[in-house]
Amino acid sequence: MDVFIGYTIAGIAIGAVYAIAATGLVVTYTTSGVFNFAHGATGMLMAFLYWQLRVHQHWAAPAALVMVLLVAAPLYGVLTERVLIRPLDPGDTGTTMVVTIGLLVMSLGVAYTVWPVTADRTIPSFYGPYAFVRLFGNRIPYQEFITIGLAAAVAVSLRFLFFRTRIGVAMRGVVDDRPLMALNGGYPYRLNALSWAIGASLGALAGILQSGSAGGLQVLDLTFLVVNAYAAALLGRLKSLPLTFAGAMILGLAAQYLTGYVTLSGWLSNLKPVLPTFFLFAILLILRPVRLRAGAATVTNALRVPSLSRSLASGAAFLAAAALVEQFLHGGVVIGEASEGVAIGVVGLSVVLLTGYGGQISLAQYAFMGFGAWLFGKLAPGGGILGLVAVALVCAVLGAIVALPALRLTGLYLALSTLAFAELAYDLFFSQTNIMGAEDAVPRVHLPGVSLAGSKAELFFECVVFAIFAVGILAIRRGSMGRLLMATRDSSAACATLGANLTLVKLLLFAASTAIAGVGGALWGGVEREVTSLDFEYQLGLSLVLIVYIWGCCSPAGALLGGLSLSLLYPQIVPHLPSRWSQLGLILTGLGAVSLGRNPNGIIGQISDGWQRVRPRLGGRLGDPVSRWPATLPQSDGEVVGVAAAADG
Amino acid sequence: MPLLQTAEVVVRFGGIHALSGVDLDAEEGCVTGLIGPNGAGKTTTMNVISGLQSPTRGRVFLDGGDITSKSVHKRARLGLARTFQRLEVFGSLSARDNVRVAVELHRRYSRTKVDVEETTLALLERTGIAGLSDQRADTLSTGAARLTELARALATSPRLLLLDEPGSGLDSAESEAFGHLLGELAAEGLGILMVEHDMELVMQVCTRIHVLDFGVKIAEGTPAEIRGDPRVQAAYLGADDEAVPPEELEGAPAGGHQ
Repeated sequence: MDVFIGYTIAGIAIGAVYAIAATGLVVTYTTSGVFNFAHGATGMLMAFLYWQLRVHQHWAAPAALVMVLLVAAPLYGVLTERVLIRPLDPGDTGTTMVVTIGLLVMSLGVAYTVWPVTADRTIPSFYGPYAFVRLFGNRIPYQEFITIGLAAAVAVSLRFLFFRTRIGVAMRGVVDDRPLMALNGGYPYRLNALSWAIGASLGALAGILQSGSAGGLQVLDLTFLVVNAYAAALLGRLKSLPLTFAGAMILGLAAQYLTGYVTLSGWLSNLKPVLPTFFLFAILLILRPVRLRAGAATVTNALRVPSLSRSLASGAAFLAAAALVEQFLHGGVVIGEASEGVAIGVVGLSVVLLTGYGGQISLAQYAFMGFGAWLFGKLAPGGGILGLVAVALVCAVLGAIVALPALRLTGLYLALSTLAFAELAYDLFFSQTNIMGAEDAVPRVHLPGVSLAGSKAELFFECVVFAIFAVGILAIRRGSMGRLLMATRDSSAACATLGANLTLVKLLLFAASTAIAGVGGALWGGVEREVTSLDFEYQLGLSLVLIVYIWGCCSPAGALLGGLSLSLLYPQIVPHLPSRWSQLGLILTGLGAVSLGRNPNGIIGQISDGWQRVRPRLGGRLGDPVSRWPATLPQSDGEVVGVAAAADG
Repeated sequence: MPLLQTAEVVVRFGGIHALSGVDLDAEEGCVTGLIGPNGAGKTTTMNVISGLQSPTRGRVFLDGGDITSKSVHKRARLGLARTFQRLEVFGSLSARDNVRVAVELHRRYSRTKVDVEETTLALLERTGIAGLSDQRADTLSTGAARLTELARALATSPRLLLLDEPGSGLDSAESEAFGHLLGELAAEGLGILMVEHDMELVMQVCTRIHVLDFGVKIAEGTPAEIRGDPRVQAAYLGADDEAVPPEELEGAPAGGHQ
């Protein structure tokens, strides 16, 4: 019994940290409509800042806490809202996700640069390691009581804020109808800023408490603490604070009881840290499906899709260019990196299909890339083409299983569940050397009758595969499936009333994208000749999605350039930087992603827009109104009014 | 047996009773009107029938079959189509592609061998927007966008068509032409249930009208009967003791009204 009480209190303390983190997330989401993937990263940066002040500069704990929680964190939150979030349209979940994930990646880069991993850092607990209370035969550290007390204080204060103060009621109002609030004298932007300030403070508090108890400041653990918090927040459907608290407590208690009462040995011991992820999937399965709603119609500004002849011609031109460039490439390393880049480009095509065309976000493409590589080595040690087919099929089925729980829900839940899956895949599979192997051999693809020996032949083969897949997805986009995908993005409700089975459509799309990602992985593995755990850390997957977005996720060119950036630019640039700046790549990737708000079609989209503006002036056809996608403004009542850009001339 | 029937449909949103026991029906080959002041529950009724809203209580029958628990897309495949009060055109697509998506969907799930291009063109011509086919739907005028939604709904070869304020945004000439089109469609056997505020259009095309107010059906009858019904007048205009009793109105049907 005493032991049970000890575990219970410890579990509540763990739950308290999750509750504080999750609450900050829910406050920003419900007020501003934007889900902040970088919430944990904010907490992480603030925890490191606290360490800097407390340990490095020897500030007293109260002073450091006030500085971080009441000054630095709110300021950071307000700045983030003002600079990054305000220009975004909260209805465009894809762009808001990419911007906040970009902020996450940028924060990782900044943290690694300012506080390199070479040193161990710990935050001293508030009352020292020997301060504890005896309760029912247990030694409960003061820290745990403080944590529980703080969570309770947060709950009470927020309840008071939202239900008893004018500003709190206004924050609840702005969720429902922002323009209406503005017309009635509310100040929606100030309320947004306030909610982001509160969110950042709560994230900071959670980060500080977590690192106080977890034994050491860990960049990744703190950043992804938020994935555990998501699970708690999901129980409250990202709306209800009491349910969020309940979810957090259940999680914390379950984690503690599991550790305490169940002895997990061997591989099973990995289950404890990923318990919140299982919780998350369980909640997704039991959440009621989101009702289709009319009145939420949106518009996508898509790039023009080339005709069949044009895409075939582009593919041929690409291959001709590849053959030509190869003649000038010397040095196996560069050719090898280019091959990797093209293979990653194939994975990027899966992002173009799923996200660019289908409007769904997956943060687990890297995991499927890894499965593809590992599977290919296991299924087809000789490198036969049938092995690639098998990889595609297995990855398709796996993708369908992963996506199914979340497909009845909105796109945000799919993104969250894929992030959770990516974490699961890494913790339970890729990092397990007894399952995946320290180094697994992956063969080169073997085509009967064709010699692919030699790095140049391999590079050309990769380019051929890329071209085939690119022409293929363009054909999908051009055809009835592409039209249907655009239609579901504009109005799912209308599509359903026309007889479209949306769950099936999304499932097929997801399965197709994971199949392509798997094949890309198999090709990539063949270039590398072997794969190791380090290749598939899940935060790398975030970088992949961001880079394809930065270049343009609506076009195969974006996928190719994304892949080549990852494989060529970073290895060429990073070794020349001082070791302190080795994470510059993360910072730049994040920076690129956060500036995406301007054009969700990425760099390619901006080039295309520029070309459309310049072309009439070059004496071609005068501004054909159809060729200029007009800017559109979704109005608050759901009607979309076109603001046609005037044709030139 | 009527093509569409709702039985004691109740919809509650928290403390608000949007619909309190609504029974209505619509026959095939007829245009049935559903009118009432703002907030009466007309769009909620449409949402319940099409499946976008689950009723708290009550049932919906299509051609005698209970569709209350069927999903939105299954109801569509059984022959139910609708347009929306707030436009739900596919703004990124052209008017032609809006219709084409629907034709392609219908072809796939009904396994009929229709020629997509021909059918699409015929629908665009029928609704009078063939000249705007290539224009992106989010740049169309409200009236043209409504006609696009209509053409799109017709592409699924429905047996029952739910129209939610289809005349909003049409000028009087367009409205009259629209009325003729509805009459033609009904004559071909299509059952139409139409929510509308344009009384001229309602009186022109509807053979039967249901009137809702505060979630309750307050009257049902032919256009003439509804026009003279004091409860309907009171609902729209407020109760007025000075109102002329309907029996004294010229042209009131002999035998009084309900």
